[in-house]
Amino acid sequence: MESSVGFEPKIVAFLCNWCTYTGADLAGVSRIQYPSNVRPIRVMCSGSVDPMYILKALLDGADGVLIGGCHGGDCHYVNGNYKARRRIAVLREVLDELGIGSERVWFRFISASEGALFADTVKEMVDSLKSLGPNPTKAMWIT
Amino acid sequence: MTPAMNNLVMPVGEEGKAKALSGFLARLLELGVVDSMVLPVMTVPGIMTYLMARDPELIREKAEPFAAVMPVNAGSPVARTVSKKPRGRIGALLKPCEVRALVELVKLKQASPDNLLIIGIDCTGTVDRNEYKKAYPDTSHLDLREACKVCLNPSPPDTAFPGINIGHIGLDDEDALLVSLSTGLDPGVAAVVEELGFESDGSLADRRRSAIAALREERDCAHREFFLNSRAEQNGGGIESIARLLAACTGCRNCRVACPVCYCRECIFDGDVFDYETRQLLRRADRKGGIKIPGDTLLYHLTRMNHMSLSCVACGMCQDACPENINLFSLFARVADRTQSLLEYVPGRSQEDALPFTTFREDELEPR
Repeated sequence: MESSVGFEPKIVAFLCNWCTYTGADLAGVSRIQYPSNVRPIRVMCSGSVDPMYILKALLDGADGVLIGGCHGGDCHYVNGNYKARRRIAVLREVLDELGIGSERVWFRFISASEGALFADTVKEMVDSLKSLGPNPTKAMWIT
Repeated sequence: MTPAMNNLVMPVGEEGKAKALSGFLARLLELGVVDSMVLPVMTVPGIMTYLMARDPELIREKAEPFAAVMPVNAGSPVARTVSKKPRGRIGALLKPCEVRALVELVKLKQASPDNLLIIGIDCTGTVDRNEYKKAYPDTSHLDLREACKVCLNPSPPDTAFPGINIGHIGLDDEDALLVSLSTGLDPGVAAVVEELGFESDGSLADRRRSAIAALREERDCAHREFFLNSRAEQNGGGIESIARLLAACTGCRNCRVACPVCYCRECIFDGDVFDYETRQLLRRADRKGGIKIPGDTLLYHLTRMNHMSLSCVACGMCQDACPENINLFSLFARVADRTQSLLEYVPGRSQEDALPFTTFREDELEPR
């Protein structure tokens, strides 16, 4: 495996419009410094993120995928975040059973007022991905 | 909880069990219990298909209710016969994995259960349809399909439909078949069946039950061993190992067509999302040095596992359909076993169990 020195992981982040995306925005307007490894994609609800998109990012060489949703009970669409939790739990089982491993997929509840938590989550995820090393799919063309 | 069943004994004459059962099915059609009866028949020697019969004589002549071969999982074509809320009722003689697939399709609102009379039948296993065709009529030496060897559900679920179950496991040396009417069965249907004059008997039902338990126990060991071997075969794990196992995939989608519970009317893989612009392909190829075409085959299988593994009834039709003989059954069965136990879901058991992706509990699956 490539050494993690100098390795900057790429994180694709699916962030819910109502909570985590706004939280990320708050981190920005509050001028909180956090690593620039994250590529946010605004979605209307974490419940709308089909596992296919997470898999696609992982197979195309993203080092990590972060899904951000509202806290329990706060979903703008009543319960999309709880449904996302089930879908992502199932995705994890699929990845783990096949030996792919699910540690590159993170699902976090981060509200619109938790800019600092968003920044901390990204920092933590970058550190964790650095110790994991680059995603082997980066160099795989048979996906 | 298993509802009380009314167990009746269908006597079998010299013509044998297949003729007796065919006669029973033809009788149900004749007496107007159903408007049509779907059942397995042989089209030309060695090739099975399903017939949606209107003529009772055709059933008496052609039905092959015990043929140990499965051309398709009939759960899905039977669902399609009643997907548009028809008037009337379609009867269908289905194997346990077909009944279970149909339950999933009912829950996915792709079949109207009120228009069905499901007659489930015990199944101790089926053989590969191509081997069957080659060996016919001498098919008794054929090995069971991989999925059938490790099948833990040789009898149809009692709780799936208010219907009829035909039992024969453990009753090989009896000149009788067990006809169980479930308690929720339409009283009109029950009355017609009861008028056929079959005697009521609990002892055959007990014998069948213990034979099924013994078979399940035997299969349980095989099942565990099969999973262990499949994991070992994957040799080292990691995404490379799974890519290697699926490397021969040509993207034909036969596994999806054969899968009774791959439920979308239009698959995302056939839609615009995967209709790439040249520049998108070039950009991806640039990143990796090149890309396989037809591409996204690994993504396709992993996505399918996410979408349908909770409803997977382990019928193994995906593997039968694969022109490259990829060992799909072992991969899908392993994944399905994991995802189903995570959410404590038993596909096909009952129409009452909610599909796991349509529901949730507030306090579960933490930490995420």
